[in-house]
Amino acid sequence: MIAPDPGSFRDPASRVVLDGEKVLRLLDERGLQGWRALAGTDFFKSAVSEGRLIDAVEIDPPSGSAGALEHPRLPLVSYPYEWTFSMLKDAALLQLDLLEGALHAGLTIKDSTPYNIQFVDGRPLFIDIGSFEAYRQGEPWIGYRQFTRQFLFPLMLRACAGVPFQPWLRGDLDGLTPAQMSKLLGGKKRFNSGALLHVRLQARMEARMSDRAVREDLKTAGFTPELILANVKKLRSLVTSLEWEHSLDGWSDYGSCSHVSRDRDAKSEFLQSTLERVSPRRVLDLGANDGHFSHIAAGAGARAIAVDSDEAVLDDLYRRSKGQSLSVVVTDLGNPSPAQGWAGVERSGIIERARPDLVIAYGLIHHLIYGASIPPREVLRWLHSFGTPVVVEFVSPADEMVAKLVGNKLPHELHGGREESEFRVLIGEMFDVAREQSLGEGTRVLFDLVPR
Amino acid sequence: MIFGYLDAGSGSLLLQALIGGLAGIGVAYKAMRMKFARSRIARGAVEDEVETAEDTALSAES
Repeated sequence: MIAPDPGSFRDPASRVVLDGEKVLRLLDERGLQGWRALAGTDFFKSAVSEGRLIDAVEIDPPSGSAGALEHPRLPLVSYPYEWTFSMLKDAALLQLDLLEGALHAGLTIKDSTPYNIQFVDGRPLFIDIGSFEAYRQGEPWIGYRQFTRQFLFPLMLRACAGVPFQPWLRGDLDGLTPAQMSKLLGGKKRFNSGALLHVRLQARMEARMSDRAVREDLKTAGFTPELILANVKKLRSLVTSLEWEHSLDGWSDYGSCSHVSRDRDAKSEFLQSTLERVSPRRVLDLGANDGHFSHIAAGAGARAIAVDSDEAVLDDLYRRSKGQSLSVVVTDLGNPSPAQGWAGVERSGIIERARPDLVIAYGLIHHLIYGASIPPREVLRWLHSFGTPVVVEFVSPADEMVAKLVGNKLPHELHGGREESEFRVLIGEMFDVAREQSLGEGTRVLFDLVPR
Repeated sequence: MIFGYLDAGSGSLLLQALIGGLAGIGVAYKAMRMKFARSRIARGAVEDEVETAEDTALSAES
């Protein structure tokens, strides 16, 4: 049965639908023309063979469609507000490279949203074949404003102001407006050439021209694709120059904590045994940090999804994991990416998208219990909701890390169920314990849990 | 005419012409002139309509 992808409806010329495990793209007459114009070019063939553009095979269309394509299924769909700085930067450069290549082939890309790009094995892949169409003489780059709002400004926010872009992109799926960005970039940074042109001048021109259509006037005035190419060249240079200096104020330096190096081998062996028992296709590594355990899962043949709230560690992990079966997702597990967008379903929640066969929760639940004040029963209920085996590390109140997390909270201000004996009772309500193992000084226990 | 599903924003469209260099500045200038000329014609047409309506109202009163 064919079900429309709830995130693919804005372009009337092209819509993605799911037919069981198959991913199909249904095209109207205009979409079919765009596809035929793209499919016949060397640009398309080379972009697909280089892994920059998703493959597509034309198939017989169902009734009501002028054309249809079949795409390979993606291992995981992630959204720009779940990406690290380097991921968004790589995606921005891919968007510009493909636009440049398309223009040279007599085509254009009619939009510029990062939702058209996904990451497969650590590399960006453009997935919206429907975005390509034949270039019409005199047409400007329709996606320029969208490119600045959803790629350039978020990158500038991180690189120039040190502010994470993920909450902004999650809060407004259309990205930052030039007027907002103009206010956010303060001090000397507002006067660098990129900020002056793409932020301040664009904000001013948008305010002045808001009630006037100029697309046809530009065409009559002699707009050429060379002007778009010049803009693309300058944008590529600007995006390439943007760098984010990582700081170690989060969990980036977690690997140097004494318990991490002390317990790492034991935790790896424990996980390895579970991987052999479960043989998962997809492993969700919650609180993945530097991705050590995600790499073990990937090495065992699974697709690993490394989730953490610390962008710095995940940015390093992304850069170290090219070509590996590992996906990186930045989200705070105390407030994971929700379902949102049009009708509340356009962008689905990360938990729904992950669909794991095994969950790793090492070094995580004490942060939820003591840091985010989630009751231990609720944490276990949440882990149980995945419906898969869970490898979890319990950390008792006597552990040195717990003392740090508790901070100024008094014992009566904390939830019950924190002691090992209480936690075991809670486990018994929802899971069977397949295996367990004490670590180090006895303040930590690993559990291999099977949901009832 | 073929319409895109994305609103490109008039200010952003003109800006990309300006960013394109000297040739683009010329294109943007011409586009702006055409735009303002059309605005003036449209404004003149509205003023003519108002004058006609006022004349009609006055002649009806007299």
